[in-house]
Amino acid sequence: MKTMNIIYREKDIPNIREYDVYVANGGYDALKKALGQKPTEVIDTVKASNLRGRGGAGFPTGVKWSFIPQSEPIKYVVVNCDESETGTFKDRQIIENNPHQLIEGALIAAYAIQATAVYIYLRGEFWDQAFDLDARIEEARKGGMVGKNIAGSGYNCEVYTHVGAGAYICGEESALLESLEGKLGQPRVRPPFPANKGGGLYGEPTVINNVETLANVPWIITNGPDAFKKIGTEQSAGTKIFCVSGNVEKPANYEVPMGTTIRELLFDLAGGISGGRQIKALLPSGGSGPIIRINGNDDPILDTPCTYEDIAAKTGSILGSASFIVIDETVDITWVASKVTKFFKHESCGKCTPCREGTYWLDKTLDRIMRGEAKESDVDLIANVARNMQGVTLCALGDFAANPIIHTIKNFPEDFKSHIGAAKTPAAPKTAAAAGD
Amino acid sequence: MVTAMTKLVKVIIDDREYDFPAGMNLVDAAKQVDVTIPVFCYHPKMKPVGMCRMCLVEVGNIQKDRATGEVLLDDSGNPQIRWMPKLQTACTMNVSDGLVLRSTSKAVDEARRNVVEFLLTSHPLDCPICDKGGECPLQNQTMEYGPGESRMNFEDKKHLDKHVPLGDLIFLDEERCIQCGRCVRFQAEVAGDDVLAFHERGRDLQIITVSDPGFDTYFSGNTTDICPVGALTTTDFRFGARPWEMNSVPTLCNHCPVGCNTSASTRLDRDFGGKTMIKRIMARQNEQVNEIWMCDKGRFGHHFTRSEDRLLQPMVRAAGGSLSRETWADAVAAAAKLLGDANGSVAVIAGPSATNEDLFTLKQLAAGVGSTRLGAWPPTHAGADLVAKVGVGKGTNLSNLGKGDAVLVIATDLEEEAPIWRLRVKTAHDRGAYVVVANARKTRMDDFADAVTMYQTGHAATAFADLRKQHPEVAERLINANNLVVFAGAEGLTLDGSRALMQACANFLIETNHVGRANNGLVGVFPGANAMGQHYLGFSPEATRDIIANPPKVLILAQADVVADDPAAAAWLSKVETVISLSLFDDEATRQAKVVLPVQSFAERDGSYTNGERRVQRFYTAQGPIGEAIPAWQAVARIAEKLGQGKARLSAAQVMNDIVAAIPAFAGCKYSDLAKVEAQFPQVGGDDLYYGGTSYKNTGGLGVQIASAADNGEAVALGDVKADAVKGDLIVVPTVRLYNRERVFQASEAQLMAARVAAPYVEINAEDAARLAIHDGDMVQVSAGAAQPVKVRAHVNGAAPKGTVLLPRNLQQTATALTIAAGTVTKV
Repeated sequence: MKTMNIIYREKDIPNIREYDVYVANGGYDALKKALGQKPTEVIDTVKASNLRGRGGAGFPTGVKWSFIPQSEPIKYVVVNCDESETGTFKDRQIIENNPHQLIEGALIAAYAIQATAVYIYLRGEFWDQAFDLDARIEEARKGGMVGKNIAGSGYNCEVYTHVGAGAYICGEESALLESLEGKLGQPRVRPPFPANKGGGLYGEPTVINNVETLANVPWIITNGPDAFKKIGTEQSAGTKIFCVSGNVEKPANYEVPMGTTIRELLFDLAGGISGGRQIKALLPSGGSGPIIRINGNDDPILDTPCTYEDIAAKTGSILGSASFIVIDETVDITWVASKVTKFFKHESCGKCTPCREGTYWLDKTLDRIMRGEAKESDVDLIANVARNMQGVTLCALGDFAANPIIHTIKNFPEDFKSHIGAAKTPAAPKTAAAAGD
Repeated sequence: MVTAMTKLVKVIIDDREYDFPAGMNLVDAAKQVDVTIPVFCYHPKMKPVGMCRMCLVEVGNIQKDRATGEVLLDDSGNPQIRWMPKLQTACTMNVSDGLVLRSTSKAVDEARRNVVEFLLTSHPLDCPICDKGGECPLQNQTMEYGPGESRMNFEDKKHLDKHVPLGDLIFLDEERCIQCGRCVRFQAEVAGDDVLAFHERGRDLQIITVSDPGFDTYFSGNTTDICPVGALTTTDFRFGARPWEMNSVPTLCNHCPVGCNTSASTRLDRDFGGKTMIKRIMARQNEQVNEIWMCDKGRFGHHFTRSEDRLLQPMVRAAGGSLSRETWADAVAAAAKLLGDANGSVAVIAGPSATNEDLFTLKQLAAGVGSTRLGAWPPTHAGADLVAKVGVGKGTNLSNLGKGDAVLVIATDLEEEAPIWRLRVKTAHDRGAYVVVANARKTRMDDFADAVTMYQTGHAATAFADLRKQHPEVAERLINANNLVVFAGAEGLTLDGSRALMQACANFLIETNHVGRANNGLVGVFPGANAMGQHYLGFSPEATRDIIANPPKVLILAQADVVADDPAAAAWLSKVETVISLSLFDDEATRQAKVVLPVQSFAERDGSYTNGERRVQRFYTAQGPIGEAIPAWQAVARIAEKLGQGKARLSAAQVMNDIVAAIPAFAGCKYSDLAKVEAQFPQVGGDDLYYGGTSYKNTGGLGVQIASAADNGEAVALGDVKADAVKGDLIVVPTVRLYNRERVFQASEAQLMAARVAAPYVEINAEDAARLAIHDGDMVQVSAGAAQPVKVRAHVNGAAPKGTVLLPRNLQQTATALTIAAGTVTKV
């Protein structure tokens, strides 16, 4: 099993982060090619490639771009580099090691919708990366690829970076826009959607794409949509970066064609389960997606191909942003639920009632379960509270926060039962540090 | 607003079909047809935010054949409905053709129960000691929709600070707050004072103030009305009384020309000798006047009515001696004798809080002794006669101004002089009305203007001509506006300058055909509650000027605190042989009077005022009597009776009947007419607390607007504009501050508000300051006109234009210049 580096080209070409090296290896040719086409042609190419959003929702990128009304004079592209989903760390590697491919992809998107500016929104912790990205943008400007009259085409577009203040919710696109506008990071009511007048950045039509999504675009323009579709499966074209963490020997980012199986990822690439132990569970899309129960290393579920469609159909979970958190037999799933709930309680923006109050309630009750002070009915209570949060909140965070409770209780009822009437703190798992304790 | 242009769409709510104007949200639409969709965060005066999730409903759409547009039917012949998979927040969704809404169903009921349960998890159970208890939307909706029992472990509840002063006037109980953000949004969207914000996130999300001083706005009290829980309470009222033990009495605010409809909550109270006492004042809905809002001065400025300085008995001065207490009969006889012996050399100066009934009775008394000299106090604003001609048309509602309309605000600091007009012009601006502010200096209104133009101090009347020359594009917008309302004050103007400006405004409105129609015309930003009443009943500032110039033998001062307002008053008053004073307080003029008659404040009596938009409105008796004070009209009528002018009327209502008979403008203004009400939107109070807030439903009457001459189709002629400006190296312009040292705010009256009154200061331009070697913060001596020089602190902050200093009136005990005058500023 081998990786395939459309995005992580630094693995094949040292120093591709530098402008000259990037250009020497075909960098910005795709932008020049796009600038020679009609904007609608560019959109059609990306549509034809079946590229889907890599931020988690998997929405077709070209279709998203085509929602932008061409008649509006001011439009924006916003790059979502908030990278806040638990267990996700792929975009950071892109902006650190292959930043020009992102800048190029963002500019192609900008040209396709005729945007006047690109804003790269980075999570608060990416302070150093933002400074570095600024330097890369200046390199590209010197090369004539950013600013006025890009590559002599007459098209003008600025690229800015903006660092958030450190909030999970600012990865949610409408909260991101609020934060980018200098306001409190809370999701907006939709409609109007970001693509519509009134719904985007400063009220202007806006495309918001994930870093990895845009980094795919230059390759698609250069090699054509058909070449892209040959990689992966029909519904999940191209490569995908999998952030593998937790109880594996070699936690890292792995870029592989879609359709690679879970087993290939975890055992061939990531070196297998830590200490040769048995796998117990997998969170394929970080803390926010349903947990998958895996009954040891021989479980056939491990042969599920990693595509949007297969993960959904065969595991009942979602591919999301492909942040694979691996959990082995030594880990208490109640503890996992408690940790993830703490995260969501900390990150709930507080704007809407069920999420604000629900995450607090779940966290307090799970604390009592973990301390062995809870009754059996408390497990039913949190399952019910989580269900009451689902489908009624302003943004998806409420659903995300409910998922870990609902699915851990459903898939691992015995782990919860073990805490009832056991008035002592269970031993922390050996790999607690890796899980962020 | 529904106009003939608005498209109607068919919507089915709970199996019944209705037509609604497109663009209306589902909560409002349902409310229109008496279907309640409970809300916490949504408020009909603000944009929906979908935060509380209480308004979740089932929404679907009637399916139509795409090709033919025919409604698709199911097997039993009913329209096919495609239901949305999730419940939708009704507040964030608008009506559309074929939309189907279910306001109750198993799923909806469950969602509501869950939202209430979530809200109550950490909400304290302190209803028995909570000020909101009894009028609390959360309490009501818990009873209606909530679970009977809590599943939250008691020890897990979050505990927070229960006494956080956001400012001097408002306390926050963080535990009770449900983070609906109504207060934050009111301040930003409605008031325009963006001084509250959310802080932190998740369950730590809290309301904070981001201004210094805290909660710095004139509108803070409104947030307590729309707070759906007891999180925001007023420093003034908190722990003062329970809602269910109070009566609500419709009354009026008499501090400014807006004429906000208010409600006094009263009860028999130990602190007021067991008499009925006003415990709080809240807004009373009148969508054409103040909507459901009021300013903090009106809300908290009621303590003066119970001041220990109130006059309690009539007094008469013995020959050359001191004042001594007399019976009403003796005092009335003394006053009657003085008037009867004056050979017609009698004049009246009536203050800004004298009611229509007081003014009419005074006019009759004067006429009875052969005088028509009726002065309005303070004599600063001319042109009420022009407002009577071309004032805003009958039916005007500032809430109807929007796109295509325009508002001009000229020669006034609207925020300080008439806060609710400032608020309503701001919201009109937000709806798309083109707002122009013209002043000789910067004012707060500028923040909500599309264009700000400056004229040289004193030269307001030529502003229109200048505008056409220098900013033709701005002038064009005003000229071509569908509707145009002009708010004109008199800041920086002499009385003649004020008349010139009002004439210029009238001319502009006539020339551009913006008169005689609703939502068009002139509004005078006059001092006090009843300047238009003064005009209609024959009182004028020009007469006051004449009275000052040619003192009568007997002068009746009716609630006119002339010495406190005018530095020249002591001098001209000394030329009057006899003063008869009708006053609330033992003021300076009263101390010089031969006869002192204690009169009642608005709180203790009924009566009516005519507001700046010429709306005659009545108020009712709210508070128990003080001493032997009686309504001013009654005192005057008893003097008239003693003089043989006829029997005193028994009630204010009877006096109004006389006014209606005698003064054509008041036709249709009998008390029974003024008391008429009609349904208003949004619904407030009572069962609708959850929706519009605790503002009071209007049961006292919406009032009657007097038609302008233009409304009546009378020809209105253009007039000459005789400009008049003061010349000098340095011109002292008196300005108005909403919070000042008038009686309403004196420390003994309302400690609460006293803290909000600025220390005396003068604003001076940086260039002038440099020339005079004055620095920001220096103590300086300001002299202007006849006024005694005053020592105040200099503010060099860019507020004053070059050559002009701004000296706020009534910030100190001694009077400062009442009108613009040349003056000097020296460092001390």
